[in-house]
Amino acid sequence: MTRPALATYARIAASSARQSIAQRTTLVGRCALYVLILVVFSRIWQTVGGDAAAGGPGAKEMLWYLAVTEWIVIALPLTHLAIEADVRSGDIAYHLARPVPYVGVRLAEAAGDLSVRLVSLGVTGVVAAWFLAGGLPDDPRGLVLALPLGVLAGAVGVLFHAAIGLSSFWLQDAGSVYFVWQKLMFVLGGMILPLAVYPAWLRAAAEWTPFAAMLSGPGRLAFAPDVGVAATSAALLVLWLAVAAAIVVFFNRRGARVLDVNGG
Amino acid sequence: MGPAVRVAGLRKSFRVRERAPGLLGAFRSLLSATTREVVAVDALSFQIAAGERVAFIGPNGAGKSTTLKVLSGILHPTAGDVEVLGLVPWRDRREVALRIGTVFGQRSQLWSHLPAGDTFDLLAYVYDQDPATHRRRRAELADVFGIGPLLTKPVRQLSLGERMRCELVASLLHAPRVLFLDEPTIGLDVSAKAAIRDLVRRRADEDGCAVILTSHDTGDMERVCDRAIVIHRGRLLLDEPVHSLRRFIRRKVVTLATAEPDVVLDLPGLTIVERAPHRTVIEVDVTVTPVEAVVHAALAVTRLNDLSVEDPPMEEIVAAIYASADAGGAAVKP
Amino acid sequence: MSARTTVRFAIALLGTNLRATFALRGAFWLQAGFMFVNDVIFFTTWWIFFRRWDEIGGWRLQEMTILYGVVAGAYGTANVLWGGVRDLSRVIADGGLDTFLTQPKDPLLHVMGSKSIASGWGDVVAAAFLLGVAGCLAPSMLPLTIFVVACSAIVIAATGVLIHSSAFWADDLDTLPRQVSEFVLIFSSYPQTVYGPWLRLVLFTVIPAGFIGYLPVEVLRAFSWRDAAFLGGGAALYATAAVVVFRAGMRRYASGNRTGLMA
Repeated sequence: MTRPALATYARIAASSARQSIAQRTTLVGRCALYVLILVVFSRIWQTVGGDAAAGGPGAKEMLWYLAVTEWIVIALPLTHLAIEADVRSGDIAYHLARPVPYVGVRLAEAAGDLSVRLVSLGVTGVVAAWFLAGGLPDDPRGLVLALPLGVLAGAVGVLFHAAIGLSSFWLQDAGSVYFVWQKLMFVLGGMILPLAVYPAWLRAAAEWTPFAAMLSGPGRLAFAPDVGVAATSAALLVLWLAVAAAIVVFFNRRGARVLDVNGG
Repeated sequence: MGPAVRVAGLRKSFRVRERAPGLLGAFRSLLSATTREVVAVDALSFQIAAGERVAFIGPNGAGKSTTLKVLSGILHPTAGDVEVLGLVPWRDRREVALRIGTVFGQRSQLWSHLPAGDTFDLLAYVYDQDPATHRRRRAELADVFGIGPLLTKPVRQLSLGERMRCELVASLLHAPRVLFLDEPTIGLDVSAKAAIRDLVRRRADEDGCAVILTSHDTGDMERVCDRAIVIHRGRLLLDEPVHSLRRFIRRKVVTLATAEPDVVLDLPGLTIVERAPHRTVIEVDVTVTPVEAVVHAALAVTRLNDLSVEDPPMEEIVAAIYASADAGGAAVKP
Repeated sequence: MSARTTVRFAIALLGTNLRATFALRGAFWLQAGFMFVNDVIFFTTWWIFFRRWDEIGGWRLQEMTILYGVVAGAYGTANVLWGGVRDLSRVIADGGLDTFLTQPKDPLLHVMGSKSIASGWGDVVAAAFLLGVAGCLAPSMLPLTIFVVACSAIVIAATGVLIHSSAFWADDLDTLPRQVSEFVLIFSSYPQTVYGPWLRLVLFTVIPAGFIGYLPVEVLRAFSWRDAAFLGGGAALYATAAVVVFRAGMRRYASGNRTGLMA
């Protein structure tokens, strides 16, 4: 990438971030949703006492785990919606003709939006979880390690969302694909329950998916602040980042060919 | 039979909230709202007889839509009396709704993914029509409006003109006594406009149904209506037969597509708007030179490939009426 | 307006609505099918949960299955029958009620029934699956199951109308009504046995999650006339409140003093 192009993307990301801040109702609503989920689960975990009975983390750590996974899930911008709309309306043909690559523009916008979401939700999450769990995790250093992993996980998520958006070149309704993708992320990523409590076979299967790397990877640092674990998770995320980027590039090329055939 | 519509001293004002910008401003305005009154319609009085066709004209924001909304029971007036078929629209909304038909050019009442016939079926239940009457009326209207072959096609696949014909049938199925048409020809091409105008006029004649039409297009008012009510800034400016409004149309725009590359016409009252090879656009002051004379003069020097004569926009006509009102013109009532 | 013509109109409206949904066959199957898969996948979280933990405040996997079935069934039913609620605030803000007001049928009924959401069918099928597994579709249970799902669906729709009616009084609401509706649903679909008395009170008043999720499950797992009457009464109360508030909003709409209505 040349320097001027990088500057262009940075500008796009910055203006997208400003827009994200300007949509205050949505911003506040998103944070409220996050707090709401933490409230529900703080009650559930306190009622069952976390996983302490089985020698696992207690109610407090369980809530911090959820605070990390939900932070990532809710922060992911819905990039697929914009791409799907452009593919459906055929506007993408015009965008593709522009000097700045279309997908690059959408990804830069997503990056801007993602950063606003990560910061606003991050602050909200720390305050809410602190209050609801009755304190920080016993070893709060894990949360610090989770921060860069969360950003990396956000990047992976955005790339996959872009791929889902591009899939609308072939599928009628990428929105439905997204919903199922999201639920797979919830379950296989261990959004609510740490993978440690999953049946062995399901856990083994989940570990092979990007979801576990995105959610469980950063999340488990809340109760196991281990630099080695963090490094492994980071390596996995980088691997998935490459895979997701490859898929986006592939879909983008193929999609452009669909346009050539159909005449846009 | 009483009048179809009676409006006496209608006034409709809106309170517009003025608030400081931002979230704090929004909260403050919840506690103590500072409002400003905006008068949309004021001291408006007129009557429309059964079966009469009236154009309701005026520039944007004159109060046309507001009046139409009061007449069709959507809005309450601030003051004044309004009766539609002897009923008060906002009090007897349901009774009035059963007797009026509406077409809002910008809003469709047809289900876009379904054939228009499906909407018609549903409307029989909306208006509690008995099946036999509904079938008869529907067959008759489908025939008159030439939509028979369109009845099985999803509405979204219809052209705008075809869709508008279906909209009109939908609003006429229950044999309304008054038909409200808001910009019924907006976006249509010339031939579709002509077809819609003829159909509305003929059908209203046969049903004895009063028509109240708002439009930006002087053609709508001339082809469909007999009488024009001009309102400006919420007040009645003029109420007289459509043909007498002609006197306010002082100029026409004539576009000539000529065989000769360059045409020069030496007549008084002409202003050249645009001159390109084989194309000349002229503004004609019809008080000085009639359009026919311009065409004659043109034919004397060249063959014509195409010719169009356009009215000036409605805003300009209203401005002319307004100017004559300011000058104390006799045509304008207080 | 006689009750008979209103019912006939409501049935005709539903018929037209369903035909419009089925007209887009490809999208219908995709949306309904994926919603079913979506519901079932998400439910596995609870299956995993109850392998590790026995109960949450007295609720086991059985109760959670019923809860999920009831909420999915009610939400799906509301979306199929009264899909217009989901866009109500936008319709109000855009002046879209005008069309309904110039027609003689009740505007609220008309606007609610003017849309049907295909994915609702996926929810209904998922609900049938979950409730079937939980044994709630056995002939002896079926009438009661239908009753509680119907009550829950009415409370969901009524809450939606109440939330979206805020557009009569406030402008620039954007997606807020939809988000708030989602919150209510989230509260409804998690076990409510974990809250203290005050939060419980909230869940039977401001956020009617108690009527949407908790009470239907209680009626199905341990039937009592008292709970059933409470549920039915709650549904009737919320429905009445929705009609009253919507009518008040309509009066404001007719005054034209909502900002942005000036024309």
